[in-house]
Amino acid sequence: MSDDGFALRLDGVTKKFGKHTAVDSFDFEVPRGVICGLLGPNGSGKTTSIRMIMGILGPDEGTVSLYGEDPNVTRRTKVGYLPEERGVYKKMKCLELITFLGEIRGLTRAEARRRGGGWLDRLGLPEWADKKVEDLSKGMQQKIQFISTVIHEPELLILDEPFSGLDPINQDVLEEIVRDYHAKGTTILFSTHLMDQAERLCERVCLISNSKKVLDGDLKEIKAAERRGIVAVEFEGTDTWIEGPEVDHVEQADDGLHLILRDGEDHQPILSRAVNAGARILRFDLVEPRLHEIFVRHAGDGAVGDAGMPSGARMSSWNEHVGPGGV
Amino acid sequence: MWHNVWAVIRREYLQRVRSKWFIAATVGGPVVMAGLIFVPAWLAVQSDRNEFNLAVVDGTGVLYGELAPRLERGGFEVEEARWHADVVTDLRRRANEGEIGGFIMVDELTLETGEAIYYSMDVPSALRQVTVQTSVARAALEYQLRQQGVDAEALLGGGELQVEVISEAGSDISEPQFAIAYIGAFLLYMVILLYAVSVMRATLEEKTSRIVEVIISSMKPSELMLGKIMGVCAVSLTQMAIWIGAAIALFAGAIPMMIAARPELANLENLRQVVPGAGLMLLFLGFFLFGFLMYSGLYAAVGAMCNSDEEAQQAQFPMIMLLVVPIVMVTPVIQAPNTPMATGLSLFPLFSPILMWARVSGGGVPVWQVALSFVLMAVMVWVIAWIAGRIYKVGILMSGKRPTLPELWRWVREA
Repeated sequence: MSDDGFALRLDGVTKKFGKHTAVDSFDFEVPRGVICGLLGPNGSGKTTSIRMIMGILGPDEGTVSLYGEDPNVTRRTKVGYLPEERGVYKKMKCLELITFLGEIRGLTRAEARRRGGGWLDRLGLPEWADKKVEDLSKGMQQKIQFISTVIHEPELLILDEPFSGLDPINQDVLEEIVRDYHAKGTTILFSTHLMDQAERLCERVCLISNSKKVLDGDLKEIKAAERRGIVAVEFEGTDTWIEGPEVDHVEQADDGLHLILRDGEDHQPILSRAVNAGARILRFDLVEPRLHEIFVRHAGDGAVGDAGMPSGARMSSWNEHVGPGGV
Repeated sequence: MWHNVWAVIRREYLQRVRSKWFIAATVGGPVVMAGLIFVPAWLAVQSDRNEFNLAVVDGTGVLYGELAPRLERGGFEVEEARWHADVVTDLRRRANEGEIGGFIMVDELTLETGEAIYYSMDVPSALRQVTVQTSVARAALEYQLRQQGVDAEALLGGGELQVEVISEAGSDISEPQFAIAYIGAFLLYMVILLYAVSVMRATLEEKTSRIVEVIISSMKPSELMLGKIMGVCAVSLTQMAIWIGAAIALFAGAIPMMIAARPELANLENLRQVVPGAGLMLLFLGFFLFGFLMYSGLYAAVGAMCNSDEEAQQAQFPMIMLLVVPIVMVTPVIQAPNTPMATGLSLFPLFSPILMWARVSGGGVPVWQVALSFVLMAVMVWVIAWIAGRIYKVGILMSGKRPTLPELWRWVREA
């Protein structure tokens, strides 16, 4: 393989567990230096994809390459990985654990120790260096995990649900650090089911559902392409003009009424109809669609609760965060 | 590769060596052992030496010469007091003044029956009473026998039995050798099981806590497994080195010192007979190492294929059987070490650590058989590493149901 300019590239990657296809011919690239979100409901194949990138699972079909090379060569020193299920050695002291994890990522022991100490200071945990990991709260353990993910200053950060389990303050701290790394030129891929977080942070997104990629690309471009779909209106007077061949349905949103247009329809006829009807228009706005709306539009509402999400519990947790009207 | 393996070894080693359990077992073992030997001796030394100053009133005129050296060997300081009418009053006064701890009166009756009177300032310990009593009785007996021209010393020393083996297959095994073979076999069983299970638990902990995902993203499963086994191995060798060192210090240093200081503790010398020599100790370490390498590989695979302690308890059953069978066979094998069955069983690599040890330490095993058992064990280590490594590689990242045997076989084939 040769350098293709991408930090990460998947070609036709497929993974099956028995009869269930967890990831289905997944093509995906992450250009260098971007923050990219891998979005989808629980059970859609995010973690399986990440595990294949990390070599924890082998793909049944397709290839993974990191920086245009065999991932087994580049992974250890170039990639920092924060898994979804965060294991620690509970009986170890914090700094020792960080040092050990730095060491196996190619640092010398002394260097790993020095950097680990620096990170503990930065995250306000210096007094915990000699405490056992098991004495820490979940959130603090997660910080220790995060430190050991970045301690070798990787070029590519792969974070599986990095924000789950953190309180809002620590979510902000982590977001800040992620932005710092981005500013330094680090490529970041993180998975999340929190659409608003992805919307805030990501330059690129990749939406997957039911083990298949639904959509990926530059977030701004995606939004621009999807823009004409939704019109936010505020008005006084009659509302008879709203119903029309262009309008698919109407949603009540925080900033007024959202008219969701049918594919390919223009908003102009609605405006003229409203004026003709004598309504007083206070606002007529082409809304940037929220990621959730884009996702639902492409995957279909049904997809969100279909195969690939075996349990009802998983579906409801998806809905809790991004369910209709909740965004 | 070695950078990673080394990091795993060091983590495993430091983590374990610093644990309270390790410190307690490593230091506690020798302390308890030394305590059992020294505390009684120390208590004896602590008591006032004055009570070991004895005067002997010899009414026979012949017994003092026999008795004094015996009492001295028993730790007393002896002086002869001349017989006169007021001797008892006199000696009582001296005892009360603290000059002597007591005195013994022997007379003609002593020569016939061994009876004597022991006046003591305190209530003498059982050991002291027995020492005095046997000294007096033996002195009287030896005096009498010498009068008859008998070599009482040799006779009373228990004689000597010369053993000559006439059958070709048989080999003689003395009591201390039997003890070494038997205790050694049990120790091997215990330490191999103990440390192999440690490897399993560590593997299981890494798997269930999912930290293995982070580690495997930085190194190969084989590196982790190798580092883990070598780390635990280093811990076990450290522990045994400390124990052996303590035993050497005890037997080579402390016990001779004790005996020099308190001759009545000469019995401690007998303990030496059950201490194996340097050659046997090396063999013990060799059998342990190979046994550990074979069983820790198997146990690592078990840890990797299970998801909970309960599952692992069940899955380790075949390994337990492999260790229990030779333990059951230890006694027959020690008693008849050169039968075809004993030879065959002890050459089976998974049984060798226990059964070959039992035969070797009993003596009488051809060197080529011992060498062959080590070659076979080395081959077995390699085979197990190959199979267990494959099971480990798949299992450590797998969750869900424990694999069935056919599934295990598929892991081995496909990994």
